[in-house]
Amino acid sequence: MGRLSQKIVLKAKAVSKGKAEGEAIVTKMPISITGGLNPYSGKIVEKGHELEGQNVAGKILVFPHGKGSTTGPWQFYVAYKRGNAPKAIINVKAEAVVAVSAIITNTPMVHMLEKNPLEVIETGDIVVVDAYNGIVEVTKKSKC
Amino acid sequence: MYLTNEEEKMLKGYHGPGVQKAMEILVAIGDLYDAEKMIPISSAHMAGNYGPLRDEGVEWLEEFAETGASTKVFTTVNPQSFDFDLYKEMGVPENFRKIQLRIDGALRKLGVKLFYTCQQFLVGNLPKKGEHIAWAASESEIFANSVLGAMTNREGDHSALAAAVTGKTPEYGMHLPENRIGNILVDVTELNIEKLTQTDYAAMGYYVGKIVGDKIPVFVGLPKNISLQNLQALAYPLPVSGAVPMFHLVGITPEAPTLEAAFGGGKPEDKIKVTASNIKEVYEESCRTDEGKVDLVIFGCPHCTLQEIEEIATMLTGRKVCNGVKLWVCTSKATKAIAERMGYGDTLRRAGGMLVADTCPSGGPYAYLKEKGIHVVVTNSLKAAYYAYGLFGMGTIFASTKDCVEAAVKGRWED
Repeated sequence: MGRLSQKIVLKAKAVSKGKAEGEAIVTKMPISITGGLNPYSGKIVEKGHELEGQNVAGKILVFPHGKGSTTGPWQFYVAYKRGNAPKAIINVKAEAVVAVSAIITNTPMVHMLEKNPLEVIETGDIVVVDAYNGIVEVTKKSKC
Repeated sequence: MYLTNEEEKMLKGYHGPGVQKAMEILVAIGDLYDAEKMIPISSAHMAGNYGPLRDEGVEWLEEFAETGASTKVFTTVNPQSFDFDLYKEMGVPENFRKIQLRIDGALRKLGVKLFYTCQQFLVGNLPKKGEHIAWAASESEIFANSVLGAMTNREGDHSALAAAVTGKTPEYGMHLPENRIGNILVDVTELNIEKLTQTDYAAMGYYVGKIVGDKIPVFVGLPKNISLQNLQALAYPLPVSGAVPMFHLVGITPEAPTLEAAFGGGKPEDKIKVTASNIKEVYEESCRTDEGKVDLVIFGCPHCTLQEIEEIATMLTGRKVCNGVKLWVCTSKATKAIAERMGYGDTLRRAGGMLVADTCPSGGPYAYLKEKGIHVVVTNSLKAAYYAYGLFGMGTIFASTKDCVEAAVKGRWED
């Protein structure tokens, strides 16, 4: 029965409407879009970042909050148009740069979950972000 | 958050998809920062430079302009990367010019006034004390809050545009008087104030920004007759080395008539002293090149005032900029017109320099200059030096206006 997947449902506050399902990529470090995400590859390029060299395109990106330049939404839009943006975003507590990025690209985004998403969600888990209803559904990856 | 009937209608799309998207942005930001309601604004300011937008951003702006959204308040735009009238002389690639003209067209359609300056308050966009505004760009924010006494958060371009086309912004942050109270006392009385140059003021701002982070510094010991140029020089590096939204100069800026008022009747959290060696260190750490050669000497971050253009023209009268070195003096279109009328433009051109409008040392001319072999930039602006190095990997030298002019004439940097 070890293969039976465990499903966790968490309430969240919506930042940007929409619903998406995908594989989670999780970091405990804040992300700067300008200078931190290469919009032409979808890779995190900030030196020394936990996710440096990893691709976030099409993933459910889970991180504490954004940081850095207010030009971030322009860069995120480039990533989105080129298919290199994450499918949905989960923040611990959002700030304006990432929030605006999500809204102008209609990317589902939530924050302030009832439990810390960085402790519940691991890279590789399957996550549904339902920002219409303020719900996050986490299916843990099977550990076999 | 509470929305009026009119704001609800905007959010539901009664005024088209552009205004709807704008209100979605404002409501989301308001919710993030616990704003209770929207407040009307009287002025907006945003960027319109190809650098951060890229091709996709230009398309976004064009599509947004197509929705029929248009500015409800006086809205101006920051510099871009070349002078529209001097693109040939500046060596601007044709594709670069064409895409900037598309941005220009979209902004015009939206009703944005095409100022292309960061000194919008000097040439017509001048809010008064206590007015709520939405200005993007950190230097605009800090000048508006501190010197004008107008109230703005540090907007991004999308949130500033959203505020412009709805005439609203969420009430949070710097729009609330309690967030405008000073935190850190900055004592500059040990410095020889009368002898400080414009670039010494900039170095002071850079040093203080690094120490206070996102707090509000309160300066004591600066002269009541501090010039506009020195005031700007002090202000602009504060949000570059730190994230300072506002500062007070006791007895000078509008919300600090007294020390007590600057701290809202309370006590400073901390006190710092600025010494001559603190200032010297900033000059040293801002020189980031091993080469002695100089490619570009650039002034105008912030955009040069008429007084600065006169000062540089006077220094260059009867002299020649070294062969192979570019010297650009950047300002607003309006100030350039007066400088031309005064003959400063001719003086600069006779010396081998250029007087340019619409662009600035932080507005991204390096994107095309780099391909033309320009690698070492000399400037009297710390912010310009910081971005030329950080964003474009240029070698940079930060020096006084006089030393910058000497470097242009000699074609070399000598310590």
